[in-house]
Amino acid sequence: MSDVHSAIHEQLTKCGITLAASLPDDWVAPVIRRLDADPAIRHVSVAREAEAVAICSGAFFGGVRSVAIMGATGLLTCTGELATLNLRHAIPVFLLVSQRGSIDDHRIYQEVQGRRTIPLLQAYDFPYHVIDRPEDLSQIPDAFHAGRLQKRPFVCFLTRRLIKGEGAAR
Amino acid sequence: MKARQAIDCIAAHRGDAIAVCALGMAANEWWAATESEDAFYMHGAMGFAASFALGLALSLPQQEVWLINADGSLCMNLGCLLTEAAQAPRNLKHFVVDNGVYQTVGGLPMVNQARTDYAGIARAAGIARARSIDNLADLEAQMPEIALCDGPHFVALRVEPETSFLGTPPMTYEGPEMKYRFGRALERKLGIEVFGPQGY
Repeated sequence: MSDVHSAIHEQLTKCGITLAASLPDDWVAPVIRRLDADPAIRHVSVAREAEAVAICSGAFFGGVRSVAIMGATGLLTCTGELATLNLRHAIPVFLLVSQRGSIDDHRIYQEVQGRRTIPLLQAYDFPYHVIDRPEDLSQIPDAFHAGRLQKRPFVCFLTRRLIKGEGAAR
Repeated sequence: MKARQAIDCIAAHRGDAIAVCALGMAANEWWAATESEDAFYMHGAMGFAASFALGLALSLPQQEVWLINADGSLCMNLGCLLTEAAQAPRNLKHFVVDNGVYQTVGGLPMVNQARTDYAGIARAAGIARARSIDNLADLEAQMPEIALCDGPHFVALRVEPETSFLGTPPMTYEGPEMKYRFGRALERKLGIEVFGPQGY
């Protein structure tokens, strides 16, 4: 399913993104590799997901479009920073996040993320959009723009079915 | 050396540098020294002024970015030093005001108080230019060189602990106004577009 990762890369480029900050989850690792190899994109590997959030927030003030890429577990670790930096100051940040813990994930260490991530985003009033099919990847630029309009963290979830393909082996 | 003296000395050498300040003491003292709007004063995300400053520096490679960090904030996000070392932005100076206490909340002692070598940690993380300064005469003597040399450059400033609760008042604006004042200041200063034609 390498075409999916290339298509995600292509859609991020359509957003005008020139900086990507990431901490890999295995579902998003292939797209991170593609971004890292793209000379038009400054890729910043971080040691903790909240670094990616703050790096993208700083980049906003440099007039640079950016994306923070991580897994759902990482997203849970940086909700405090998203609230006290981005929500408090109305700074948009676009997050591309693997939607771990879905019913087709079958990983015991992801099950809490699957149950509680979206309720947590709703509690903070962080908007999100779920992309589940390759033909919907063209929605990424709209999601990016929606985050700018709403001036807050915007999470674009990538599902297992999208990343691994329908009926992929576990 | 008192924190205010250290901050005043750094501010006097900043030239056209823009600043990012960790929340609390660092932000309050920088505001008191400069009253500058081309500085972002963190009000939350403790520890992540460093990452914010890195993102800003990478986005504006021709612009000096000075990070006014504090020991408590640095310790919340020591991993920032690895990221900073890996990216190696030539336009970033990372100052850490080390007063050994959590001053903003009343002066409670820092973890591992007085035993941590922050410049040593930075050096070990891969930031070759890292130094510690513990008196005003040395800071005044070294600031011209610090201001001129390429980054990343890490400077730990050992200052006296002060336990007065919010002895220096914070800046007079916050929240979304902070965003717009800082962004508009950068647009005016650098001729860049932070906000689009409709203001978002």
